[in-house]
Amino acid sequence: MLEMRNVNRAVDGEVHLDGIDFTFEAGKFYTILGRTGAGKTSLMRALMGLMPLDGGQVLLDGTDITAVPVWERKMAMVYQQFINYPHLDVLDNVAFPLRRQGVGKAEARRRAREFIDLVGLGDLIDRRPAQLSGGQQQRVALARALVKEARTLMLDEPLVNLDYKLREQLREQFPKIVERNRDSIILYATTEPREAMQLGDEIIVMHQGRILDAGRPDEMFLRPRNITVAELMGEPPISSFRGEVSEGAVHLAGGLRIEGAGRTLPAPGEYLIGIRPEDVQLGGDLAARVTMSEISGSETVTHLILPFGELLMLSQGVSVHEPDDRLNIGFAAADLFFFSLDGDLVSAPDREGQD
Amino acid sequence: MRTFYLAIKYLALLLWSSFIVFPFLWALSTSFKDANAITSGATYIPWLQFEPSTQGWASLFSDGSTGINIVDPYINSAIVTISASLIAITLGTLAAYGLSRFEFRAGFIKNNDITFFFISQRIMPPIVLAIPFFLMLKTLGLLDTVYGLILVYVALLLPIAVWVMIDFFGNIPRELDELAMIDGCRPIGAFFRVILPNSIPGLVVAGMFCLIFGWNDFFFAFTLTFTKVQLLPVAIVSLNSSVTPWWSLSAFALISVAPLVLIAFLVENFLSKGSLAGAIR
Amino acid sequence: MARIELVNVAHSYDGGKEYALKPLNMVWEDGRTYALLGPSGCGKTTMLNIISGLLKPSEGRLLFDGVDVTDSNTAGRNIAQVFQFPVIYSTMTVAQNLAFPLVCRGYPDHEIRRRVDNVAGLLGLSDKMQMPARRLTADLKQLVSMGRGLVREDVSAILLDEPLTVIDPQMKFELRRKLKQINREFGITMVFVTHDQNEAMTFAEEVVVMKDGEIMQRGSPQDLFERPDNTFVGYFIGSPPMNFLDARLEGGTLVCEGLGYHAPVQGVPAGARMQLGFRPEFVVLDGNGADIRTRARVEHVDNLGVEAVITLSLSDGQIVRAKQQGRFRAIAGENLGLGVRAENLQIYCNGQRLG
Repeated sequence: MLEMRNVNRAVDGEVHLDGIDFTFEAGKFYTILGRTGAGKTSLMRALMGLMPLDGGQVLLDGTDITAVPVWERKMAMVYQQFINYPHLDVLDNVAFPLRRQGVGKAEARRRAREFIDLVGLGDLIDRRPAQLSGGQQQRVALARALVKEARTLMLDEPLVNLDYKLREQLREQFPKIVERNRDSIILYATTEPREAMQLGDEIIVMHQGRILDAGRPDEMFLRPRNITVAELMGEPPISSFRGEVSEGAVHLAGGLRIEGAGRTLPAPGEYLIGIRPEDVQLGGDLAARVTMSEISGSETVTHLILPFGELLMLSQGVSVHEPDDRLNIGFAAADLFFFSLDGDLVSAPDREGQD
Repeated sequence: MRTFYLAIKYLALLLWSSFIVFPFLWALSTSFKDANAITSGATYIPWLQFEPSTQGWASLFSDGSTGINIVDPYINSAIVTISASLIAITLGTLAAYGLSRFEFRAGFIKNNDITFFFISQRIMPPIVLAIPFFLMLKTLGLLDTVYGLILVYVALLLPIAVWVMIDFFGNIPRELDELAMIDGCRPIGAFFRVILPNSIPGLVVAGMFCLIFGWNDFFFAFTLTFTKVQLLPVAIVSLNSSVTPWWSLSAFALISVAPLVLIAFLVENFLSKGSLAGAIR
Repeated sequence: MARIELVNVAHSYDGGKEYALKPLNMVWEDGRTYALLGPSGCGKTTMLNIISGLLKPSEGRLLFDGVDVTDSNTAGRNIAQVFQFPVIYSTMTVAQNLAFPLVCRGYPDHEIRRRVDNVAGLLGLSDKMQMPARRLTADLKQLVSMGRGLVREDVSAILLDEPLTVIDPQMKFELRRKLKQINREFGITMVFVTHDQNEAMTFAEEVVVMKDGEIMQRGSPQDLFERPDNTFVGYFIGSPPMNFLDARLEGGTLVCEGLGYHAPVQGVPAGARMQLGFRPEFVVLDGNGADIRTRARVEHVDNLGVEAVITLSLSDGQIVRAKQQGRFRAIAGENLGLGVRAENLQIYCNGQRLG
């Protein structure tokens, strides 16, 4: 069990960590989701002891380890840059941490070998890092982090600097690769909500140095605590605009009206209303103007302008819409999120049969 | 068009390299001449244009009857330069690592100021340092000794070592140090086990600079010694061209620069093998 | 502005031992947007450098509007190029940067001002004209480097070599939109090199997919998605990649038992490797409305929030991925109906699409 108590850190007036209180439990895979600069890396560095704290404590199984130096913490880490020991070949790179723990050379190499095979580099054990591709270098770093079978394993956006297809490949193999380390606390930082949902037992959403919310992926997705969490939990993000609830309907700017149609609407009043891009459909009675369509290869995100604000629409497959095209779109009241004007969730769509 | 440019390029290179190489060729041919060959105009090709003689080279190693003593200055120079370079590199590397990785602060003085302080030693004209060095060595009783010279040369070479190594360490990602510490090394262990083995290219470059500067220095070798200890540059200058024959002078000059030429070849070889480039990114 | 034609162009960096670009013919139509897409080392940058004149092809000719320019340099071809890292004159203001190419060519002052103002207006730089260019953010610097190409009205094409690499994710969208807008206003041919399918398909009307110095497919984003010419494109475009199922020939009939597929096929050489390809997006779970139907066992479900990826196994052991918008509820081991519409199914013979 790893605990952070009111951990703070600022550098030159810029807040990196702002009152972090959190308990990590053994055997759980945590994904930390947030934009660049949200404090994900700082949080990991604070736990590792790689960064001085302005205040607060880090506790391991109830013992204060705030003052314990990094080399005695017995944690493992993978950086987003490809960091390996340039002067050692793959085998000795992976054996290095074991040797430092006093494991004999032959035994260290034997165990290193197992993990090198696990990450699929069995044929390259005598290469130097500079002779490997980016993806292979990151696999070496992974193997070296895993070989220690440390009780805490941190992965700081390990796939972000890889090409698209490599990232897809490695992400798929990930659960299998960390299998043997599943008794540890695993932290995995990412900016991609899909990655966070795919890998995490629990998602921690960070923003501006704070933990906004944490919980099971589906809970976090279906009932985001506030509008920022909702935005961060979707890629493309949720669209939001102001609207008023009255007489069993939602009223939007431009005289538009969305019927309640069976949805239990919140109490009459003004709300910040959110709709997820995948819940917006082509064909409806709202006239929209296209500003741009983005095609990711297998899906299309269309940026739309409506009288009440900007809206994103996600559709499977490729459908090209040119800027300034006019489209009719629609969405149902059942899919709307209602947030208070301060951004707190008031009412989420009722997804029947949540598990 | 391309062949034309290529021709121009090679012509220019050929001109420049002959400009560089010519003095050496001249010295080389002169060192194999005798009085007769030297006075009979400019000739370059042995056997064809003049009859080679080895008396110039022989005179270097004869028993002082020619007034030439190269062996002692050579040994002295080697001892002073190599010892001073080793000490300077050791201290300089440690200092540079400290300055590149840890924050120091003494009042308003920070890392950059300390680095500048080191490098500023080389900005001052040497003459400014001559008198303080002289007085210091006098107080220590080290004037005209090899030890005194080593001490002074360490002071002179240290800035070079620090300067080269700070730059080199600056290009090694800090994450590499951190990784070593995460893997269980104390900071000193991280330095010796990880950073140092990856710094060999930097050490080679720093070492080369130190050897070149140390070997070639005339000014301090001249001002801080009198009779007992003589270094090579001083020995060369003390040969009087109106007394010492040209063939001896040429041979002396060539044998003095020989170690540096050798180092240049070795380092060049090392560099081109790619063992340096790409070791660190 | 020009129509660019590559006639039998090929390039080898080592005197013909290995081709970085294999012999090819290609036409870039005037005023269109193109993307060169492929993994690193596929020859896309070689192709770009041949067009710009930075590289002389070892074979073949290059025509601009029918005029042979194979031997003229970059300046002679009137090409504007934007690189990965913004190139700006850091001591000059934005206005001076934009004016520089015209000043160098001795244009009169009033003409320079007219063109610079015009381009600045389009790029949205009008209010930053007096700022020192080095103070701009990376995306604006990239616009300035492009603006320097645009002020010359005779420019034949703009070549962009991974121009979004150093741009913040949040700004990428804006810059992409500007690029499209520029293409529409000026009608200049644009060629965009990238390894990111999202960038390529969003930006270009036509995408050229390359691999190992060869063109794998050239087509609209929709073509690449719906009708990949070969298995590489099917794999490279889209995430998860296209499903490829092995099938065998029985007389004149192509059979894939797992999928319940039997259909006559013609013109296939004996012993050829036959595969059926279909996108995960086109898999119909429950099989309703699909002409090809079977049952499959759920192996694994990844609920990624916006969408779900379901891994299924067929009766013959082959694996199929399905992608569904929104949440998908199923448990591993469950049997489901699975179907594909005939129009969404492609047949591949030795890796190449039939028909």
